Amino acid sequence: MLKDINVGFVSALSSIKRGNKKTSFFIIVVLGLIFMNLVFLPALISGMMNLFVGLVQEYQYGNIVIEPLEDNSYINNADHVLKKVRSLSEVTGVAKRLEAGASLKHNQKMVGATIKGLVPRDEEDVSSYPYIVSEGEFLGELSRDEIMIGAMLVEGNFGSEIYDNLGDVKVGSLVNVTYVNGVEKTYKVKGIHSGTFELTDLGALVHYKELEDVLGLDGEASSIVVRIENEGEEAEVKKKIIDLGVKEEISTWQEKSESLIKQALQTMGMMDIMSKIVSLIVGAALIFIIIYINTLNRKREIGILKAVGITPNSIRISYVFISLFYVVLGIFLGLIMFISLALYLQANPIMFYETMEISPAIDAGMLIKSILTMAGMSIIAGFIPAWFVTRKNILEAIWGR
Amino acid sequence: MEKEKTIIKVKDMTRHYNTNGIVVKALNNASFEIKKGEFIAIMGASGSGKTTMLRILGLLDKPTKGQYTINNLDVVNLPEEERNYYRLTQLGYVFQDYALINEMTASENVHILSLMEGKSKKESLLNAKEALENVGLGDKLERVPNQLSGGEKQRVAIARAIAKKPRILFADEPCANLDTHTSGQVLEVLKNLNKKFNQTIVMVTHELWHTKYASRVIQLKDGFIVSDKRRR
Repeated sequence: MLKDINVGFVSALSSIKRGNKKTSFFIIVVLGLIFMNLVFLPALISGMMNLFVGLVQEYQYGNIVIEPLEDNSYINNADHVLKKVRSLSEVTGVAKRLEAGASLKHNQKMVGATIKGLVPRDEEDVSSYPYIVSEGEFLGELSRDEIMIGAMLVEGNFGSEIYDNLGDVKVGSLVNVTYVNGVEKTYKVKGIHSGTFELTDLGALVHYKELEDVLGLDGEASSIVVRIENEGEEAEVKKKIIDLGVKEEISTWQEKSESLIKQALQTMGMMDIMSKIVSLIVGAALIFIIIYINTLNRKREIGILKAVGITPNSIRISYVFISLFYVVLGIFLGLIMFISLALYLQANPIMFYETMEISPAIDAGMLIKSILTMAGMSIIAGFIPAWFVTRKNILEAIWGR
Repeated sequence: MEKEKTIIKVKDMTRHYNTNGIVVKALNNASFEIKKGEFIAIMGASGSGKTTMLRILGLLDKPTKGQYTINNLDVVNLPEEERNYYRLTQLGYVFQDYALINEMTASENVHILSLMEGKSKKESLLNAKEALENVGLGDKLERVPNQLSGGEKQRVAIARAIAKKPRILFADEPCANLDTHTSGQVLEVLKNLNKKFNQTIVMVTHELWHTKYASRVIQLKDGFIVSDKRRR
């Protein structure tokens, strides 16, 4: 076998060294483009997924979310739950929230929206709400009769043209709010927040205490959002929270976001798989055709090699080496093109929905998998045609009989 | 009295081809022996069966019936892998159209067979150099076939065949594509190998004047041996 490899290598080397350079260059460029196609779309999809996941974590569910059991509207004694969860070393932040539907009115314009009641200081540890203020200031611990309005509810901001808006709302404007329970309040706009995400920008925020009073509650919460130190340990921390005796509905962000983005992820995943399959088929077909034409053109030469005692295996191995040479350089070129494009797009992201910045994620694991898949594919695609031709008997290969 | 050992024994060698139901009797009941150091020319017109005979002798084909032994080894019934190895290590074959690998230099064309035998690269290169020097191409080791003349290509093919010091060298019309002058040079190379190294050579030719280089001439006609004469 070692002799076969040695002879196959020498044969492949001379073939590459003295073969047509322009053809080799063309093949390598095409394989490079195929490789880039193989990794670029998954990287872009991965970037999109990271964005959506980030948004869902940042504003909606944190890492873990605790909600009332099905029969209840609120978590009773939320502070007790907060205390328990905070005792876990893995937890970096916990915040209770209340939510209520309401209609907001400014001048003659009215919209329906969800109003969240937050504890501003706690939100600093669990969400990005305090950091996405585009005008004015975020709520303070003493904020009463004050409201934060989502940017899409304000005329002139992105998305306001799609959805109903409150018109020309500014910091200091007065907004009338009628809650679902009929309570009416007038709030002064303290700030406008913009998270470039409908879940945040189509809603309004008030202090937890404000909403607690409006709803006539005392320490209850619609949800408790938990942030943990290490991503990926959600399931373990969830178990620990259950073990602490918290008898509420506890979900990781993955479980909660399933219904929200599962379909989108599945669709993108399907696109990703189809794109990969097409790339691999095109790459395999290219290598197969190149080697097949090469072996057909050299059928007589192959017959002669066999006639003088070169083993069929060493001839097959030489074609595998040739395929590997093309594909390794193709992958190398593809990697350079991909990394260059990815770095460019990370510096100049693609704008999605006018406000969301999407850039390809460079994932080493995905790249290694793609490299191995393409290299494996090229070995098979190079071996099969060589195997076919070397199976012919010597007389048939040399003299066609 | 036998001066040299018999290395090839052929008895009733027959080769019939079946092409679309038509049986072509290319070779019929050929029997002969070849001794070490003989330079045999197999003569005959086109279709006389000389190439068929050489292919069988060179283990590129199998007879329909009959016996063929080299040094008392039944080479006809060897498994394909062993026939391949036998060709590699014991036999040399020169094709009429050189049959060189165009992308390999003269040296690579020759030394690849030594590599296949398992020799080291250094040893293989030395072998190749020696073989190419023996055919007068010591200064053209790094030339690729399209940088060589027809005669030089054929000499590289001969060097490839003799580099491994084969028991028997087979040459299938080695001068078919060469002019008279170059043919003479190639035949001289073969003659020298025969004389200098006592190399056994079996050459197929249809040119009568080529036979003057041989020590024995076997004449074929319509698949039958019609004469077998030693030359003085």
